[in-house]
Amino acid sequence: MINYLTVMFAITIVYMAIAERYKVYARLLGIQGLILFGMTLSELNEIEITNLIFISLETLVFKAMVVPYMLNRIIINTKVLKVHNEALSGFYELLLIIISLLISIFMAYTLKSPYIDTVFLTIAFFTLFSGLIIIVTHRLIISHLIGFLVLENSVFIFSMAIGNEMPMLINIGTLLDIFVGVLILGFFGMKLKPNIDELTMLKD
Amino acid sequence: MDLNVFFSVSAVLTSIILFSGNKYATKIYVILYGLIHAVFSVLSWTKIGKTELTYFTFDSLAVLFLTILSLVVSAVIYHGFIYVSKDETRKYNIYHASLLILVTCISGAYLSNNLAALWIFAESATLAVAGLIYHDRTKMSLEATWKYIFLSSVGIAIAFIGILFISMTMEGTIYNDLSFSSISAAAYSAKPLYLKIAFLFIFVGFGTKMEIFPMHTVGIDANSVAPSPVGALISAGLVNMGFITLFRIYGALSGSEIFGWMNNILILVGLLSLLMAAGYMLKAKHLKRMLAYSTLENMGLVSIALGVGGKGYYAAVLLLILHSFIKSGLFIQMNLLYRKLGTNKLDECGRYLKIFPPGALVLIIGTICIMAIPPSGLFLTEMMIFQALIEDQKWFVLIVSAFLICCIIYALTIRIMHVVFSPPRVDLNFIEEEKVSPLETVSQIVFFAIVIILCFYQPVFLNDMIRQSVAVLLK
Repeated sequence: MINYLTVMFAITIVYMAIAERYKVYARLLGIQGLILFGMTLSELNEIEITNLIFISLETLVFKAMVVPYMLNRIIINTKVLKVHNEALSGFYELLLIIISLLISIFMAYTLKSPYIDTVFLTIAFFTLFSGLIIIVTHRLIISHLIGFLVLENSVFIFSMAIGNEMPMLINIGTLLDIFVGVLILGFFGMKLKPNIDELTMLKD
Repeated sequence: MDLNVFFSVSAVLTSIILFSGNKYATKIYVILYGLIHAVFSVLSWTKIGKTELTYFTFDSLAVLFLTILSLVVSAVIYHGFIYVSKDETRKYNIYHASLLILVTCISGAYLSNNLAALWIFAESATLAVAGLIYHDRTKMSLEATWKYIFLSSVGIAIAFIGILFISMTMEGTIYNDLSFSSISAAAYSAKPLYLKIAFLFIFVGFGTKMEIFPMHTVGIDANSVAPSPVGALISAGLVNMGFITLFRIYGALSGSEIFGWMNNILILVGLLSLLMAAGYMLKAKHLKRMLAYSTLENMGLVSIALGVGGKGYYAAVLLLILHSFIKSGLFIQMNLLYRKLGTNKLDECGRYLKIFPPGALVLIIGTICIMAIPPSGLFLTEMMIFQALIEDQKWFVLIVSAFLICCIIYALTIRIMHVVFSPPRVDLNFIEEEKVSPLETVSQIVFFAIVIILCFYQPVFLNDMIRQSVAVLLK
């Protein structure tokens, strides 16, 4: 089950590279939230029930519902629809994402350990690199937001790799999600305009 | 005063300030907080070695920097009152509530003996400082705040991945908490590759706080736009918090196989920081940005000092102490300069000595101090770093860093001399709205006096505290 979920998660990331519209990004992030919810239920079976409920709710409510909803609001408010207006073309982005997948596989196998699931580690690295790729290859603020949210998902997967041993770390990661995610999405996502020129006043 | 009392009082005062109806009451609460922080710092000297609330230990390093924070905060509070005096009550209260949260978070981070607890305080500090950077509500402050929040959040997420890698090295061992002592004990037998990845992630992540390469841009924009007293607090308190984090993780991993590798990384990052600082300072057109790049330079030197070891450890801590006083003094002075000249842009500044002689004098002394020219205490620290480099026969690092420091001294000198003596290149015809009292330079004079005295005489207690702080690395 967990292997299917991780592969599905990887597919959503690859799909992000070729997605043309921000609405697709929002939907994909919602699907990622649902997959993470599934992963939480199937993987974290050794932690306390209250902790499990808290983490499950965070993935189901925050990642699968609140984040896509807020992103949609921002997309409607800012009227920015197309992803590749101010970014690398989809083809090159897909190429970068696939290269990052290969690097992730290599890194995960290099770091092979009896205590950590290699598939988990691969997907966590892949998500991390993809988040960073989205941030650096796009110029619009909303793309940066999405890149950051993908990065947050990678943090969540990393923390699940050791979650049964140190559940406190997952809780802290969840706090990171909620505090920073809500602040960035809720406050700045609504306040900043899509025009990239607005963020180029501070220069040397 | 116990730590739980300090945290509780801070939380109560912050809440009261947020809902306070008038500025006068807020002022009293903030002064009260400043006094409580000072008392807490003084009492912490009697608790060295003690642990409170499980996650906090009063060790020499924490107590030393907590005391410096108290001194800097007293000046920040005083100059903050002047800076926000004309603001409406709500804005005034938000500024001060954010300030209190920030100082409390920094204090908590200094005392944390657990990496996860430290990370939580770092995250909270990011949110608090964002509120302070956005204080002026201009387009520029919005841009700076956005960049700060975004890059800091990425940094925090990356640091968290580093923490997760540290915890992965502890799997299958008897250590199941993230205290620095457990990390240190587990690191002896840990897989080096895991430790290297963890160190890199944590170094890059917390580099946003220490304002060191490659995450230095976060601090440059924030310092240039934030209210000057906040710039002083960022350069002293927040930067020191970043250093303490990296120092503790470096100390915890120093007994492992990757010690030599970490040193090489620190030296490389230090050199790159110096290079970036020199390059940008030579073309800086904004005084506060120039000072922010000077922070990058000094953090680069601290990184080199740690990497080279030996005398470098002592030099690194002393450099940070002195830098805290100099940089906070200079940032506060930038506010006085702004009020006198109406700008911090280099081309629009000039004849400061004629317009405001006390401020110009302070600016000159501060510049001499930050350039590490005797009688600045920084001279001693840089000399120690160079001595350590010679002893270690790191000639390339020595020559390159000496050359870059020369470039930085040149950049600083011509710019400050222009501001003090030359007429402005662009005349703003600025009319001063409010008188700036020469008494407002007192805090900076006191800070610079401390730096100069420490060049000639380092009290025994300070020496002991620094030596105890770096003892973990000399084992």
